[in-house]
Amino acid sequence: MPETRLLLKHSGDAAYRSIQGYMDKGGYAGLKKALSMDRQAVIDEIKASGLRGRGGAGFPTWIKWNGIEKEKTKPHYILCNADEGEPGTFKDKELMENTPHLMIEGMIIAGWATQGDVGYVYIRGEFVDCARAVKKAIDEAYEAGFLGKNIQGTGWNFDMYVHLGAGSYECGEESALMSSLMGERGMPRLKFPHAPLPTVAGLWDCPTVINNVETYACAPYILVNGGEWYATLGASTKNSRGTKIFSVSGHVNRPGNYEIEFGTTLAELLEMAGGMKGGTLKACVPGGSSVPILNAEQTMNAVIGYEEMVDAGSMVGSGGCMFLNEHTCIVTFIWRTALFYARESCGKCTPCREGTAWMEQILDRIRKGGGRMEDIELLKEICSQIDGRSFCGLGDAAAWPVAGALKVFPEEFEYFIRHGHSIVDGPEYRRMAPEPLTPAKV
Amino acid sequence: MAAAANEPQSVILTINDIEIEVPRGELIVESVKRIGLEIPIFCYHSRMKPVGMCRMCLVDVGFKQPDGSVRMMPKPQAGCTLPADNNMVVYTDTEKVRRDRKGVLEFLLINHPLDCPICDRGGECPLQNNTIFYGPSTTRYVEIKRHLPKAFPLSKYVTLDLERCIQCGRCVRFTEEISGDSQLAFRFRGAMMQPSTFELTDFESRFSGNVIEICPVGALTSAEYRFRARPWDLQTKPSICLECSNGCNTWFDYRVASLVRINGRTNEAVNEEWTCDKGKFGQNYLNSPDRLTEVFVRDGDKLIESNWATAFQQVSVAFQSAGSKCAALVGGKASNEDIFMLKRLFTEAFGSNNLDHRWTRCLPKSDALYRVATSIADFENEPVIFVFGNNIAEEQPILFLRIRKAWFRNDAKVIVACPEACEADTFAHTSLRYRPGTEAVLLGAIHRAATGAGGVDIAEASSITGVGEEAIRRAADAMKSGFALAASRSLLDLRNGEHVVGALSNLTIACNSSEKYNLFATSANEEGARQIEFMPSAEGKNTREILEACASGEMKALWLLECDPLSLSHDNELVTKALETVEFLVVQNHIKSECVQFASVLLPACAFSEKDGTYTNLERRVQRIKPIIAAKGSAKPAWKSFGELLLRMKGDPPPFHAHEVMQLIAASHQKFQSAIYENLEGEGVVIPANQSTEPQAVDVEYTAMEVPSNTP
Repeated sequence: MPETRLLLKHSGDAAYRSIQGYMDKGGYAGLKKALSMDRQAVIDEIKASGLRGRGGAGFPTWIKWNGIEKEKTKPHYILCNADEGEPGTFKDKELMENTPHLMIEGMIIAGWATQGDVGYVYIRGEFVDCARAVKKAIDEAYEAGFLGKNIQGTGWNFDMYVHLGAGSYECGEESALMSSLMGERGMPRLKFPHAPLPTVAGLWDCPTVINNVETYACAPYILVNGGEWYATLGASTKNSRGTKIFSVSGHVNRPGNYEIEFGTTLAELLEMAGGMKGGTLKACVPGGSSVPILNAEQTMNAVIGYEEMVDAGSMVGSGGCMFLNEHTCIVTFIWRTALFYARESCGKCTPCREGTAWMEQILDRIRKGGGRMEDIELLKEICSQIDGRSFCGLGDAAAWPVAGALKVFPEEFEYFIRHGHSIVDGPEYRRMAPEPLTPAKV
Repeated sequence: MAAAANEPQSVILTINDIEIEVPRGELIVESVKRIGLEIPIFCYHSRMKPVGMCRMCLVDVGFKQPDGSVRMMPKPQAGCTLPADNNMVVYTDTEKVRRDRKGVLEFLLINHPLDCPICDRGGECPLQNNTIFYGPSTTRYVEIKRHLPKAFPLSKYVTLDLERCIQCGRCVRFTEEISGDSQLAFRFRGAMMQPSTFELTDFESRFSGNVIEICPVGALTSAEYRFRARPWDLQTKPSICLECSNGCNTWFDYRVASLVRINGRTNEAVNEEWTCDKGKFGQNYLNSPDRLTEVFVRDGDKLIESNWATAFQQVSVAFQSAGSKCAALVGGKASNEDIFMLKRLFTEAFGSNNLDHRWTRCLPKSDALYRVATSIADFENEPVIFVFGNNIAEEQPILFLRIRKAWFRNDAKVIVACPEACEADTFAHTSLRYRPGTEAVLLGAIHRAATGAGGVDIAEASSITGVGEEAIRRAADAMKSGFALAASRSLLDLRNGEHVVGALSNLTIACNSSEKYNLFATSANEEGARQIEFMPSAEGKNTREILEACASGEMKALWLLECDPLSLSHDNELVTKALETVEFLVVQNHIKSECVQFASVLLPACAFSEKDGTYTNLERRVQRIKPIIAAKGSAKPAWKSFGELLLRMKGDPPPFHAHEVMQLIAASHQKFQSAIYENLEGEGVVIPANQSTEPQAVDVEYTAMEVPSNTP
């Protein structure tokens, strides 16, 4: 299937960033339609579309919207998770910089559907440009009467604020994001069934809808064209509907964001990105650094869809798709990934705090030539001791890539341990490999 | 929400194939205790909100499906955060659970320095215990362990060993949830996460000692106790703290007849399990060189070491010749037995009724003004609490924790009126910061605002007290349909103390809260002395009159038991004159005080750890202390010396054991009948209040008092 540009249709158009340019292309029609509809009808439209969370977990969006109390007793909050921190993912960045009104319109629709009072856009601390763009767009939306008091004469009030994070991957986890937004340390909070869902008691213990930037950006299209139309996109897959933006990076000729319909294959995605650069395909991390790695064969057979990717051995995740060529050392790659998670673990729970650091130490020792054969078994055990035992998903996300690589590329680890240097070598590898690099024995 | 109210309050779940019924919402970690099981924990603490940080309590959880099958959840669940629900199936001891526990312990131990042989916690360490039962026997960790400061001084009292910390967050949560001073927080993240104070300032808290006890490893240690003993070399006995009137229960850990440390002992009715730093770190006087351990008698300008027989001889001659011109004053650390026997000695042998235990400036006659109606534990459930007059965190720290708990757990409205900034302000519904001396005016204004009559004009009061009109109305609004009063007898030290306390009483009556009027004692056994009526009868003299009579030379002999008038009285000039002038002065104390220089006879008394007896705390709870370490030198329990004097002077058989004294007390004071020693194990016994008639409003002058301008 070719690229299906829906959300990114106008992302190259500088005028689209302003409210005028956005409305010229049909912007805010979805919101106007929603405001003329019954609140429940909006949720039903989202339900019909089959939209699932684009942040990584793929939770059906309408269930969250529908979970907000219908008879209002407390303020309702609409929260946008724009803390895009997953290595390899940069789709929200483009959406916020180039199509900020799309996300804002989606949030206002969500606000209308759930009787929201205030929307917060929690933007990753490093994304200053995004924050500027979103802030400007919010100001414009206020001016145009899409935010503020008595929106479009409906008598409904809705405010929106931008909040910049302070540089923590963990704050992209929805409950940690809420902690951080409330001014607490960015640590995850208890989740269902240990505590009520955010839709019941989220931000300041009030009903809260929290979705990803891309998820909100889908809402205007669903409202304009109808949920049923949206559901025709990706109909070839089991249960994934619509389009998904993949941030393609790695050894490809044209890295960047590509929006595809579910049911497209990874091979087609690679084709869109101009194919491999500097060597043949060795591996692919399809959904951001936390999903299990695929080898070339698995990659070429994989169909993009929430269930289909699981069958292929990985996950859609957040859509940070990294293609790696034959000169990539998997051990070094996984060590670098493990280092990221060790540095980003918030420290709340034992398995993640201690396990991620331990894995990094072992992998670091291996890559410096000090590996022992028993380290492979030990790493697998540590992964199983973290996976599912940690407080939030960060522990799982740290364990999956290591466990996945050990399963798919065991020979690379064994070779590295046995010989003290990587199975791949040559000028391309040596150019890419981080210091210290152990001298290859020729 | 209406549906939730109709749901049954208990649920039925299955734990390890045993079906049990538990209250809805009870945490699994608590539910398993009902069938005699235990889930290992580190971060969970039953008095704090669960967080699920350490993951030690992972259990397998599933749900019974309508078709009878059980669907297990894919991931193990933390038992400390999971509320029990119907159809829940929990397994606490499967192969998988055992593996998970081993995994968590392995993680905790990889960076834990195995310096157990020199660690204070060794032998009483939850990490050691859990490792024995659930942990791996060897390590697979070959990397370099984390190295961090080993003896970081958080404060004068608490030293932090960062390498031993397992980041359970108990200490951080204690300062946030229990003590409320929020002194500790985590710095950094991931494996480098460490508890610390903000900006590395001193850990300043009235309750810092508790974090040492709740730390599940040896990370938080007592600076004083550090490396001084091994827990298994210590002997421990239950005791009571005498630092204030709360009567907190403690464990007295000692070695070779000297105190090593104090720990909190659980008494749900009194201190739950907490101690304040005064109680935990303030007991060093027991081993102090200033302890009074021998009998001294005066010889001209000098006090020379003597013996009890000589002292008794001099005392009996002096007091007998003084006749009714003798008096006795006691302080807050004398036990019920001491006080009763001293009273007997004076009334029966010396024929004197000049007895008092009160040291405040005002000494109102009305017993009703001294009422205490609310128990410590009841404060937890009071919806509106009025904290008046003094910094309650300073005067009754543990009662302060209860009142804070009422706010933290039950959203109680706490109105705080204090002339200075105090801890209770942090959670106050309304803070009334009045100018010193304007207490009565403020109360008059609240009275007017709450009832629309009486008291004083609000606008006028606002300008006098410096408290905004709105704040007065807001406080009165919260209080007008009833409140519990928490005030202490130190208010009687004000020059218009009687009016202030009267105004408080009037306010409670006006708000239908006279059954929640509390004017608390401030010292350990002040309430006991009141209940034993160690006070002048009609013809006797009270504290001030006694001191004045001594100063004028009218009073011939004075007995000071466990008190130092120079520190207790507001009028040092009078005290000095009285002590200088009185012909014969007996000072009986466990420690030397400033008034020793005036003494004719010095009698050594036992400290609380050396004697048998009972103390009555502010809620009239009689609690027993037992002798833990041997008396020092010639010291003896004061009640024993009084018995011996009575034998000498009147031939009465002396009581040989403290419980005999209690029987005598019970015989003459009926309310003590329930407090015989057999009943005092456990939580102690609350004796009934004096039968008083319906409290009546009293005439009060709602006027401000002149305060010297140099008063801050």
